[in-house]
Amino acid sequence: MTYVQATNLTKRFGPVTVFEDLDFTINKGEFITLLGPSGCGKSTLLRCLAGLTPLNGGRITVGKEAITSLVPQKRGIGMVFQSYALFPNMTARDNIAFGLKMQKLHADQVESRVTEVIHLVELDGHENKYPHELSGGQRQRVALARALVVQPHILLLDEPLSALDARIRRNLRTQIRTIQKELGLTTIFVTHDQEEALTLSDRIFLMDKGDIVQTGTAEELYTAPASTFVAGFIGNYNLLSAEQANALAGMEITGNLAVRPESIYVREIGRNYADHISSPVPAVVTSHMLLGNVIRYQVQAQGCELTVDLLNRSSERLFANGTQLEILFNHRELREIH
Amino acid sequence: MQKNNRFHQAVIYGLMAFLSIPLVATLVYSLAQKWGATILPQGMTFKWYLELWGDPRFLAAFGHSLVVCLSSLTLCTLLTVPAIFVVHYYFPKLDGLMNILILLPFAVPPVVSSVGLLQLYAGGPIPLTGTPWILIATYFTVALPFMYRGISNSMQGINLRDLMDAAHLLGASSAQAFLQVVLPNLRKGMMSSLFISFTFLLGEFVYANILVGTRYETLQVYLNNMRGTSGHFTSALVMSYFIVTLVLTWCATKFNK
Repeated sequence: MTYVQATNLTKRFGPVTVFEDLDFTINKGEFITLLGPSGCGKSTLLRCLAGLTPLNGGRITVGKEAITSLVPQKRGIGMVFQSYALFPNMTARDNIAFGLKMQKLHADQVESRVTEVIHLVELDGHENKYPHELSGGQRQRVALARALVVQPHILLLDEPLSALDARIRRNLRTQIRTIQKELGLTTIFVTHDQEEALTLSDRIFLMDKGDIVQTGTAEELYTAPASTFVAGFIGNYNLLSAEQANALAGMEITGNLAVRPESIYVREIGRNYADHISSPVPAVVTSHMLLGNVIRYQVQAQGCELTVDLLNRSSERLFANGTQLEILFNHRELREIH
Repeated sequence: MQKNNRFHQAVIYGLMAFLSIPLVATLVYSLAQKWGATILPQGMTFKWYLELWGDPRFLAAFGHSLVVCLSSLTLCTLLTVPAIFVVHYYFPKLDGLMNILILLPFAVPPVVSSVGLLQLYAGGPIPLTGTPWILIATYFTVALPFMYRGISNSMQGINLRDLMDAAHLLGASSAQAFLQVVLPNLRKGMMSSLFISFTFLLGEFVYANILVGTRYETLQVYLNNMRGTSGHFTSALVMSYFIVTLVLTWCATKFNK
């Protein structure tokens, strides 16, 4: 069921058009990620939804109410900022209670709702600390609690995890998703990190130069990129021309061929493999890089430089630079794009 | 390393001792009964301090200085803080222009601008010369650069836009956001600017002497007028001024923590 509807949204800064005639719909309780490179207009779009930046045209409805002309205070939107934007002169508890005090709720009500949300974001024991006494992860949780406690219709998250280290980022994003599901809260998350987008979202809106170039689930975007840009942005794809595709994978196509690094199979020449795969192409390892559970190889095959990902099973299976290999393609995993 | 540290300490302590020589000499002179042809003072006394603090003219001058300084700083705070907020939040491009404007009071020497002010306000529709009002207004412009720079720096250090946006989204009006979120976070910058301005204005002589003189005698004008009396007496006056400033500094630092 459509909950948020944006029609013909247009934003310009002087002569620069950030986005024009942008349309999208979001269902109630959905977790949407606006994914795209820096400067593509995703944060501006988020600020326009919140009413913090005025639109030059278009209409936004939430439920049945048009919110385009409403001030931010009246939109019922909660937002978590990249910079946390915690009020330095207030403790974590006072920061969280601020919105409720603005609503002039009774002190008892404020107290019980603040305590509840502090527990929800697992900040018990830190509520009387000032922002400068908290770690980055704790500050971001205070910011999340402050946005949640006023029970907004929509939650906006503007790159909330980008300033945190990898471990805390992973924990916090799991926590955000759990809380969002628990509350059934319609959420729009802005990031330029494809891993974050793929792991968190119900749907991803992939943006480029002010346009939403593809929308879909993480699976759809990852396995079926609609354009060269999407393929390049979302999955470290190898992009092959029609001639290269023909030479390497034996495919007769007119457009380009997008090949994910993990869709290329390799075997060492001279070694016996039980699971023999047909149509081998000779290749040589030019470099390799360890990415934790994956080893990323750069291989040269028929004049093409390809990226190949292999699971890091053991050091014996590591191919040194210069190793002669054969690479194979599974046609079902390849995608022609234009 | 140890040797190096000792050398650094010796330099610091030496410098401190050197700088405190005039102050200590003034203090000793203000406590000396008589210190003329001898190396050390002849007898110590609080007589000069008692005489000074018992002088109604001194107390009035001190009171005048406080009234003028505090009034201009109050006026300056009430006008500049909202102005700086408006510049930073609504018209950030104006900050460059403001930075040039606030330097103007420094561009014209006090003697020159005093003469200009005298010509403007000696008669005419607004005869302010000789009243504390002209001094309050002039001190406002003198304090403006200190106030603007200090508060502006604090404003830049608090991520104003995000704080205001966050407060707005939580239901606060711009006035509520300013009073409850922005203003408390400017306190440190505001206090240091106020204090620098206060000590500067308390010691200001040129404007006070030319624009008002003895018609509304301030501390510095009083000190100038008393220069013909006993040196012990004026030393007691300088030390009293120094101690008051010291106590105020301590209070401001304490309050600012």
